[in-house]
Amino acid sequence: MSDYKEYSICKDAQLTLKKAQEDGVETAWDRLKKQEPQCGYCELGVSCRICVMGPCRIDPFGEGPQRGVCGADADIIVARNLARMIASGAASHSDHGRDLVEVLYKVGSGKAPGYTIKDPEKLKRIAAEYGVATANLSNEEIAKRLAEAIMEDYGMKKERITFINRAPKQRIELWEKLRVIPRGIDRETSEIMHRTHMGVDNDYVSLLLSAVRNSLSDGYGGSMVGTELSDIIFGTPKPGMSEVNLGVLKEDQVNIMVHGHSPIVSEMIGMAVTDKEMVGLARSKGAAGINLAGLCCTGNELMMRWKIPMAGNHLMTELTIVTGAVESIIVDYQCIMPSLGQVAQCYHTKLYSTSDKAKFPFMEHVEFTPENAKAQAYRIVKESIENFTRRNKAKVYIPDAPVKTMSGFSVEAIVAALGGSLTPLVDAIKAGKIKGAVGVVGCNNPKIKHDYGHVELIKRLIANDILVLTTGCANVAAGKAGLQVPEAKELAGPGLKEICGLLGIPPSLHVGSCVDNSRIVVIACALANAIGVDIDKLPLAAAAPEWYSEKAATIAFYAVSSGIFTVLGVMPPILGSKKITELATSGLNNVLGACFAVEPDPIKAADLIKNHIIDKRKGLGLPV
Amino acid sequence: MKVVVVKPERCVGCLQCRFACSVAHSVSESQFTAPYETIVSKPRIHIGLTNGKEPFPNKCRHCNPAPCEMACITRAIFRDEATGIVLINPERCINCGMCAMACPFGVIRYHFFVDRRTSAHKCDQCFRRQKEGKIPACVEVCKVGALVFEEYNKDMDKATDQMASLVYLGIREKEHEKSPYPTLLVHKNILQEIKRR
Repeated sequence: MSDYKEYSICKDAQLTLKKAQEDGVETAWDRLKKQEPQCGYCELGVSCRICVMGPCRIDPFGEGPQRGVCGADADIIVARNLARMIASGAASHSDHGRDLVEVLYKVGSGKAPGYTIKDPEKLKRIAAEYGVATANLSNEEIAKRLAEAIMEDYGMKKERITFINRAPKQRIELWEKLRVIPRGIDRETSEIMHRTHMGVDNDYVSLLLSAVRNSLSDGYGGSMVGTELSDIIFGTPKPGMSEVNLGVLKEDQVNIMVHGHSPIVSEMIGMAVTDKEMVGLARSKGAAGINLAGLCCTGNELMMRWKIPMAGNHLMTELTIVTGAVESIIVDYQCIMPSLGQVAQCYHTKLYSTSDKAKFPFMEHVEFTPENAKAQAYRIVKESIENFTRRNKAKVYIPDAPVKTMSGFSVEAIVAALGGSLTPLVDAIKAGKIKGAVGVVGCNNPKIKHDYGHVELIKRLIANDILVLTTGCANVAAGKAGLQVPEAKELAGPGLKEICGLLGIPPSLHVGSCVDNSRIVVIACALANAIGVDIDKLPLAAAAPEWYSEKAATIAFYAVSSGIFTVLGVMPPILGSKKITELATSGLNNVLGACFAVEPDPIKAADLIKNHIIDKRKGLGLPV
Repeated sequence: MKVVVVKPERCVGCLQCRFACSVAHSVSESQFTAPYETIVSKPRIHIGLTNGKEPFPNKCRHCNPAPCEMACITRAIFRDEATGIVLINPERCINCGMCAMACPFGVIRYHFFVDRRTSAHKCDQCFRRQKEGKIPACVEVCKVGALVFEEYNKDMDKATDQMASLVYLGIREKEHEKSPYPTLLVHKNILQEIKRR
């Protein structure tokens, strides 16, 4: 019998893990145990599988080989592996963004029934940023022209991607000097794959600079496109209340869940479940209604825009099925554990994959395209309702009552809450009521007690008058801990409490999914421009306390490249190279004005961030 | 006394045992900081290769009587009476190389143990870890069962049971097949079964 309190701080997770064991279901925690101790060469980043003269390993203890067959030493191998990690993360966000460009184009061409332009004002604003004429044109025509302009950002026609111009002047000049301005979103990823091929770039500094450029092509490219186009197509989020944890599942309703990242599929499902005909069908099957809930970032997208409740984050996805109360999970892509189908074999839950890019064992594939999405959504919802009759009521277990949480803080919503400009926030920072701001982002990782890293860090930051912005899995963790409601101001320091009370906002704000880290970047750029300094001078920081994915590595890289000090809770695989470790943890300060720190203990991480913010405040001559 | 029993036919040459051995004998016992220590810890297990590239994890057998101990003129090499483990006191070692000459297995190496002082190094059966109730690091990390921590006699008992199953498998096969060459068939099946396992 395992001690589930060691696995997670969440009551719903602990109780459902117990049921998982009773039901004989294997989870990520069980599989981690079987993998431990994990490969030390890989954890230090000194194993190389790039070519078949290898695989090669460098002996970090100096007795064994110090070079791979090609002659690459630990520095080159670590740099190549890290660059490929960044490339994969950038590719994931940017390909997600590309799907939204495709939908926007097809909306403009009248080929995407079901999709519309929900925020035409933002469409015009972004079109203007791209230099696309809007006068006397229909929204559809603007959409088509804007989509075409963004397609060029993905290609090689341009010298630099458009949104990079959102950065402060000083930062752009620094990037120009370092020659890291991204030229095309896909180009940088593709170039990394070329550079890291055997016999191309073998200078670790040059490799890391190209990784910087690739990460910027995500943060100011693919991710930013993903966020902005999602707002245009599905609406720019506004603050409102929702609920979170496994308690959002309803015993008497058809529970349909969406999991993955892109709102393209989940928005259509969201539309279908509210259809009166579907609700009527559910009632005819003995259910009180249809309950839609989110998992992971596509859940974040729905929660931001429509306040659809969230059942959980990454490590809760398997446990959601274990409740026995879920009729179906509809997935798109990214962070969907291939184990889900296996877990569902023990219950009545039906799983559907929807993207040509992402297929899984024991899942039915129902492909969504902009043309057929609406029809497919109705088909899946109908099948899910019919599946309600197969539910084994004796196996249903909903472990806890849901917790209230607030969501919807897009940049536009934050500016609106501040009365139309960022000036009140700048004033509060200058006066020291808000000492600084920190983006707490990233995943879950069974190597860190589930949600402990997020929650403990956020609690300590807000208690020190530091405003927190959350995305991704961190949002669910903070929400479940009751940190994302206006009442949580009681846990904040006196200055932050006063500001939260005045504005009626929580001390920890949900700003979206993981592509929406671009919203944090936009705020950082706007703050820097408002104060008239570069981003690295601001009292800002980022943290990924429980990160696991390549996407998180890319986000951390574009945060540091933007001048934001970033604390990681899990060791990245770089320690096999002393030079790169030194560069990442201090040397980068002299290059980018920011560096990384690694600290698994959130209490110590909070101290690191607090001290960093004090230093930055001193640098600006602000009271500490 | 439990020892590290080596099953060479299971070894895939992943070198994880060497890595874990270095970490277990470092000051910090952490893989992230061990390579950064002043005296970098060295592995006490070695992977030999045949001409056909089959790997063999090779380490101190803790012989009794131990040729290295008998050859050690300064009594740097001694046996811990409680556990039977053969240990080296680096402070007494004069690097004369006698232990390496006497060792029939080639498992002794010479490395720094403090700044500018070298000593003979070999497997100490994770003396420090065992005191904390842990098994030797090389065994813990071995994913394929090539290294097993067991008393020799118990391991041989297991091997005897395994042999019994194999023999009966062969006998059943013989009865079923009514082979004109029963002995040969039994032998073939055993070989197949060994390969399968």
